[in-house]
Amino acid sequence: MSAVIPRHRVNVLTGIKSAKLIEDPTEYSNLIRKAKRPLLVVGPLLLESTPDGKLLLEYAVDIAKPSNIPICATAQTKGKVVELGVKPDSVYDVVEIVNALKDPDWKGVRREGNHDLVILFGIRSDLGNQSLSTLKHFAPHLKTMTLCKHYFPHANYSLTNFKKDAKWLEFLESLIENLKKGG
Amino acid sequence: MAEVKEKTLSKKLEEIHKRIKAEVPWEPVGPTPMPEVPDLRSWDMRLLKTYAPFYSPFCDLCCFCTYGKCDLTEGRRGACGIDIATQQARFILLACLIGCSAHAAHGGHILEFLIEKHGADKKIDMGPFIEIEAPNIRTVTGLKPETLGDLQIALEYVFKEIAHLLDSCHTGQEGSALDYESKALHASMLDHVGMEIADIAQIVGFNYPTSVADTPLVEMGWGAIDKSKPVILLSGHNPATSTVVIDYLREHNLEDQVEVCGLCCTALETTRYSDKAKIVGPLSRALFFMRAGIADVIMTDEQCIRTDTPQEAAKVGSAVIACLDKAMYGLEDATDMDPDKIVRRMVDNKEQFAILDSSKAAEVAVKVAMELAPQRKKEWLTEEEAIELAKKCTNCGMCERVCPNLFSIGEGITKLAKEGNFDLIRKQFLQCIGCGKCEQECPNKVPIFKIMQTATSMETWKCRAGRGPVMDTEIRNVGAPLTLGTIPGVIALVGCSNYPDIDDVADMVEEFAKRKYIVVLTGCAAMVAGMKKDADGLTVYEKFPPDFDAGGVVNIGSCVSNAHISGAAIKIANIFAALPLRGNYEVMADYVLNRVGACGVAWGAMSQKAASIGTGFNRLGVPVVLGPHASKYRRLFLSRKEEDDWKVMDARKKEIVDTVEPAPEHLAYVCETKEKAMPMIAKLCIRRNDTPQGRAIKLNHYISLYKKYIGAGLPEDIQLFVRRDADIPLVYKKEVRAYLQEIGWQPREPIGLPTLIGTYPSKIPVDAVIH
Repeated sequence: MSAVIPRHRVNVLTGIKSAKLIEDPTEYSNLIRKAKRPLLVVGPLLLESTPDGKLLLEYAVDIAKPSNIPICATAQTKGKVVELGVKPDSVYDVVEIVNALKDPDWKGVRREGNHDLVILFGIRSDLGNQSLSTLKHFAPHLKTMTLCKHYFPHANYSLTNFKKDAKWLEFLESLIENLKKGG
Repeated sequence: MAEVKEKTLSKKLEEIHKRIKAEVPWEPVGPTPMPEVPDLRSWDMRLLKTYAPFYSPFCDLCCFCTYGKCDLTEGRRGACGIDIATQQARFILLACLIGCSAHAAHGGHILEFLIEKHGADKKIDMGPFIEIEAPNIRTVTGLKPETLGDLQIALEYVFKEIAHLLDSCHTGQEGSALDYESKALHASMLDHVGMEIADIAQIVGFNYPTSVADTPLVEMGWGAIDKSKPVILLSGHNPATSTVVIDYLREHNLEDQVEVCGLCCTALETTRYSDKAKIVGPLSRALFFMRAGIADVIMTDEQCIRTDTPQEAAKVGSAVIACLDKAMYGLEDATDMDPDKIVRRMVDNKEQFAILDSSKAAEVAVKVAMELAPQRKKEWLTEEEAIELAKKCTNCGMCERVCPNLFSIGEGITKLAKEGNFDLIRKQFLQCIGCGKCEQECPNKVPIFKIMQTATSMETWKCRAGRGPVMDTEIRNVGAPLTLGTIPGVIALVGCSNYPDIDDVADMVEEFAKRKYIVVLTGCAAMVAGMKKDADGLTVYEKFPPDFDAGGVVNIGSCVSNAHISGAAIKIANIFAALPLRGNYEVMADYVLNRVGACGVAWGAMSQKAASIGTGFNRLGVPVVLGPHASKYRRLFLSRKEEDDWKVMDARKKEIVDTVEPAPEHLAYVCETKEKAMPMIAKLCIRRNDTPQGRAIKLNHYISLYKKYIGAGLPEDIQLFVRRDADIPLVYKKEVRAYLQEIGWQPREPIGLPTLIGTYPSKIPVDAVIH
């Protein structure tokens, strides 16, 4: 079990199977590139802006674009995703997309088969971790990853608890660069 | 063997018929009077086929017995053989049983108290406009209760079933998640019976308002409490304590000299009894108010009372009396002690007591409050003092780490310390669920609660006193428009105060009342709906009529009053559609699921009671939208709209038809944000029997809420709900037609009389749903 304690105590793991902590953006981009049918699930926390005025959702779009990763827009994010010039591949709330992902025979958001890597980004951390728990226990056919600034123990791969947002944004920018290079 | 079984069953049924007085011919006894678990199991399994359980385990392990801890990850089973899904289902059954027990035991206590006061023969009279006095009891048990004593018969049935269900949670019993869910649905149906017993008894025994809509508007908020007077705070749910305090004050001409206020549902109960009583607020305001030290005496009864009440009260010099044996806090039991001696020890020695005799507790409380009040200082922190205290904060972030609502009060405190600006704290106060963990964790001992309280206003609000059951006359008026869809739905905002933001509730009420839905409220949700004012200074209770009609905003009452909401749904089937209800649960539930456009919203659901209330609505066919915290209940009931079975029987044609319509789409659903919840609530009011006019109205709201809160075009699933061109709302005709053409949509015929009966193995004949 990982020694990392999640930022929010409500997410402290009681169990034995916790996320692998990854701090190197290259390792993250390699995992994403390796996936055959990844899916990026974006949540309402991405409607906030950085101190520079950049919408966090823009990072999500920049991550999805180079590798042509389909986007699932949850909560009220669809409007902004469209404003950024992207048509989301699907619009569900997080429990609905997770419910579909549980089914190994589901055809996925592009009807090309279920996804093998699900990336959660911008879901509030308690709901996000619970959603990841569902996938951990009931979707052994796929791997999960988070891009949020906190550690999520129920994922397969998670970032650490970033003390400063700037470091997290740096990580995301490096990840985007890596994906662009490998695109 | 078969013969013996038959004989046993009929003997059992004979016994049930005796208990429910089957010989009284108000209606023929239906197929399932006083049902046991297997009796409604096939209905449950049909529901669970479309609305499958969705589990989010909180942990990987089972630690229920000494075989464990057992690792249940990656398909492993525990030492007893249980798997992760079944363990979650067992847990949710336990939660529902706790909730059901809380209400039923509340009912049992109140019934005992009132029978002692009035006698078991006290007639049940719910006023001139309510003939179907107990729709849940009548439907589930087959009994028509005429006296308080009759309610005991129904309660004995509930207690027996609770024991049976609890037994099934033992290690090495049930091995199927679906069967555990069926049992949870059963427990939660019983909860609505228990709640109904409790509230009917209260209405009859305490002479609460009934058969009336326009109940008084009462004062709410701590600013409403005159702290210059002795203040008695009642906390919990059981009015056996609070009503006796009011009686004592009235008998001694002290009602104007002593302030009586309440927290949580006791506040709602007390204001049903006296419009001079004040509502402090929901559970999320409990610790704030206790730490303010305004209360001279705190009287606790049961459920959702803080377990650290004695410690918190002692810190600020408030006296404490525990009034019910469910929460005695380790205090000395002074029930048999002389009241004046108790008063002396409480005033002189600052001792706290349990007093389980409500008359004695009331006398002691009033006397102690009157003696203590002049001795105590009740002053708020000034803004300057708050700013000074805020400077101790180093913004270390510990407060955020332990916050169940995940926000950083440290940021608000720091802003205050640096800029003297209270704006962020005021905003955070609306998100605060009042648990106090932040202050407990603070390494610098910053008195966060006191600072937050200073930041919040002393504003007061109005809450309409709870009115009890929906009147039969109202049901007659709205039955047709509701089932045809021209009143777009009933939205029931219920449950606890674990909100992402407390203002969300008032916003939801406003949104749907303006759109002419019927909005009903209970419990903490009923209070907080009134805790927001518009630009004219009005709350939703002042802006909208109190009638159960289009655009009405109706405070039904406390938690136990939730039974009147499920009861209203049953009454639509019984009064409007003339379907017999006696021992006829399956037919009632089928009617509600397919034809009554109702949606529950438990936006701040926290407790086990909320779990059973919601699950009880689910068995009756009412979907429930939950706030984001509710993912921690571990279980939802979700469909997959594109793939699931949406076949129904057209009862008139006796044909099974694939409607394609996910109506309602889910039964228990978590939304992350208010913005997502708004269109989802509207969507969950769509029913298969909507007329084209009704469907067009419902789709108009669904689309316009979607555009308002989600933005960007039409809902992706709109084609599933458009049967014919006439269903398309006029204002979106062009846009929807273009979309439907683009995706190759084909029209389909609406169903005349949709029912699930006949689509699964059931003893109920299809003709039973035809009225």
